[in-house]
Amino acid sequence: MGKLFKTNFSTAVIVLIPACIGINYIGKLFAQLLKLPLWLDCIGTCIGAILGGPIIGGICGAANNLIYGFTTGDNITLVYALTSLFIGISVGIMARLGFMESFPKAMLTACVGGLAAVVVSTPLNIMYWGGQTGNVWGDAVFAATQAAGLPVWIGSLLDELVVDVPDKLITGIIVYLIVSKLPQKLTTLYDANAVIESLD
Amino acid sequence: MKSISLYTDNGSWIVRLHPFSKLFYLIAAILIPLISGHLWMFAVTVLASISFLMSSHMLRKAVPLIAFSFTIILTIFIIQGIFFKDNTSVLLTLGPLSFYKEGLLYSSRIGLNILNMLLSFSILVLTTSPSELVEELEKKGFSPKFGYIINSVFQIVPEMMGTMHTISDAQRSRGMETEGKLVTRMKAFIPLISPVVMSALTSSRERAIALEVRGFGANVKKTYLYSHPYTKQDQMMKWGSLTSLAAVIVLRVLHVL
Repeated sequence: MGKLFKTNFSTAVIVLIPACIGINYIGKLFAQLLKLPLWLDCIGTCIGAILGGPIIGGICGAANNLIYGFTTGDNITLVYALTSLFIGISVGIMARLGFMESFPKAMLTACVGGLAAVVVSTPLNIMYWGGQTGNVWGDAVFAATQAAGLPVWIGSLLDELVVDVPDKLITGIIVYLIVSKLPQKLTTLYDANAVIESLD
Repeated sequence: MKSISLYTDNGSWIVRLHPFSKLFYLIAAILIPLISGHLWMFAVTVLASISFLMSSHMLRKAVPLIAFSFTIILTIFIIQGIFFKDNTSVLLTLGPLSFYKEGLLYSSRIGLNILNMLLSFSILVLTTSPSELVEELEKKGFSPKFGYIINSVFQIVPEMMGTMHTISDAQRSRGMETEGKLVTRMKAFIPLISPVVMSALTSSRERAIALEVRGFGANVKKTYLYSHPYTKQDQMMKWGSLTSLAAVIVLRVLHVL
């Protein structure tokens, strides 16, 4: 297991970050191509977090939103860099604690990631969108809670919960399937707790 | 390969500005209306951004960047106009629905804020080359490793999109269904994404070796081939933004605004 936040900043890890950001983008593209009702835009962040640890996961997440904000020109994405940052950190911590070894444990990691996203996004949604998320199902829930006279933050929390947790669960399944099949030749490159043995 | 950056060099004066001048404008344009707290201040910054975009012939390109937000702004108007918690005075009634003044004012504040942020940001994005911005930041002490991360994303993504097309063609030719019911489409996701991810991770190993060989990890100061001129227009943009931001803060503190 080793130290929780120990991070290896070798060239291999630095190069892993743009690859993960690319994976995020491709995941989102495939989800749109197959017309799935999910985002699936943090697969790369999760892979980065699992391979490189919480710090690398956080960097992957934050850099992801910063760069895409720049390419699509919407600075609303920039604000959600905070959400991606916390998804990366929480998944990285869970992976370092050993919650990526079996399928049920990986599901728990995905739930933690999803909840981190909900907790960080809700205040941002309230600040920028008056509590909505822009997803049809989530906003229907929001409208229902507002009609029932509940406070904005409860409505917004439910809005985000309905959207984010299923999305992160599916992401978790995909990430688990991919990471468990990665060759060791590759994963050892990123291991911060690896020790080099010498023969003499 | 298609670039994912929105930057195009059309030779206009905003393109020729130093990246930092545009950053100063961006910060000022976003903060001024928020600090002043007045609705009309949003109109001032929105109009300023639109006139900058028009003078550089970029307005047409900015429209699609902003258009996506219109649907969500519309739903904000509908939901807040009807259900906002402080709603007391009815403004107009459409059948069984009545829209309230307070909710509509609140949602126009949100909508204008979003519009203002998107417009001022689109000036930076449409007229600044990402690699130039990164290089200027590196000169000011930004970590070159992070600079590399940002620059290489712009190279890796088009490359991965190429792989993505190859793999989806290959899987389709083997008879995989990518259309139809939700379950079918969900099942198609894994065989599509995993080869792309695997190849990206494997090639990142090779890229790391290639970079190491060229001295990427060397801890010496970098030198730069190109230096961006800092013109009179840059000075005007920078000090114009900073002084108006300072003025708004002072006026706000003195309770004039």
